[in-house]
Amino acid sequence: MALKASNINVGDTYAEEICRNLSRTQIVQYAGVSGDYNPLHSDEIYTTEIAGYPSIFAHGMLSMGMTGKMLTNFVGDGRLKSYGVRFTSQVFPGATLTATATITSIRQEAGEHLADIEISTTDETGNEVIKGQASAILDA
Amino acid sequence: MAFINPPGLPIERGKVHEFANSIGAEEPLYHDEEAAKAAGLPSVVAPPTYTSAQAFFGEKNAPNMFKDLDLDLRFVLHGGQEFIYERPVFAGEVLTAVPGEVVASTKEGKRGGSMKIFDTFTDYKNQDGEVVMRVKNTLLQTAGVVKE
Repeated sequence: MALKASNINVGDTYAEEICRNLSRTQIVQYAGVSGDYNPLHSDEIYTTEIAGYPSIFAHGMLSMGMTGKMLTNFVGDGRLKSYGVRFTSQVFPGATLTATATITSIRQEAGEHLADIEISTTDETGNEVIKGQASAILDA
Repeated sequence: MAFINPPGLPIERGKVHEFANSIGAEEPLYHDEEAAKAAGLPSVVAPPTYTSAQAFFGEKNAPNMFKDLDLDLRFVLHGGQEFIYERPVFAGEVLTAVPGEVVASTKEGKRGGSMKIFDTFTDYKNQDGEVVMRVKNTLLQTAGVVKE
């Protein structure tokens, strides 16, 4: 599945719920798979009593990975030229996240059709946790 | 626990499958080699942020990096991450992380007081020396716990 340049317009959006009621188990699963054992993501006692946060929180890269799932469902696999984000808020267990892509420009470069995409991922209260951008190759 | 870092970063089918599960991605091209081959691909494709799952497979693991940069683990947050893709990465390839520069700066943050910012640049080359991906990782060290 890939987007066609002739089928999309600037301003088109695509959104997906990328996690519902994020579990501590999934955060631990991501820690194990990624090898990122920073205790802020898995050790409640360290995180609350030593670092002083309200609870453990998700790896930014877990939120970026889940947001990337929305992106590849939208533009297709192997289509991304770039994907960058800023982590604007922490994501705590129980979060329900929705990722949204908005087409900001459609252009041609070196014979390729490309779309520039703005990305925003928000939690169930509307608080933005990821702000980013991507560009992807389109079919002609 | 041990944190041994052998050279090379093998992209492995089982690891790609586990990674896709951890981000909740059900796409068959991440999990099923037969489906990937039927789609004309050499093997399963790595999801876009997959190399971060092996960032600690490189020459420097996270505890060492925090120590080298003199960071306080309690107050380090991941500020941002950017990937530039030359092409998709498939299971069976062996990548090497080529560390680039580390750029340090400071900024007055709205929520976390004075922040130290570290931008780390890494290129990923494959077994043929071809750069397949460039990555910029931004770490922040806040003055204290960031309040919502």
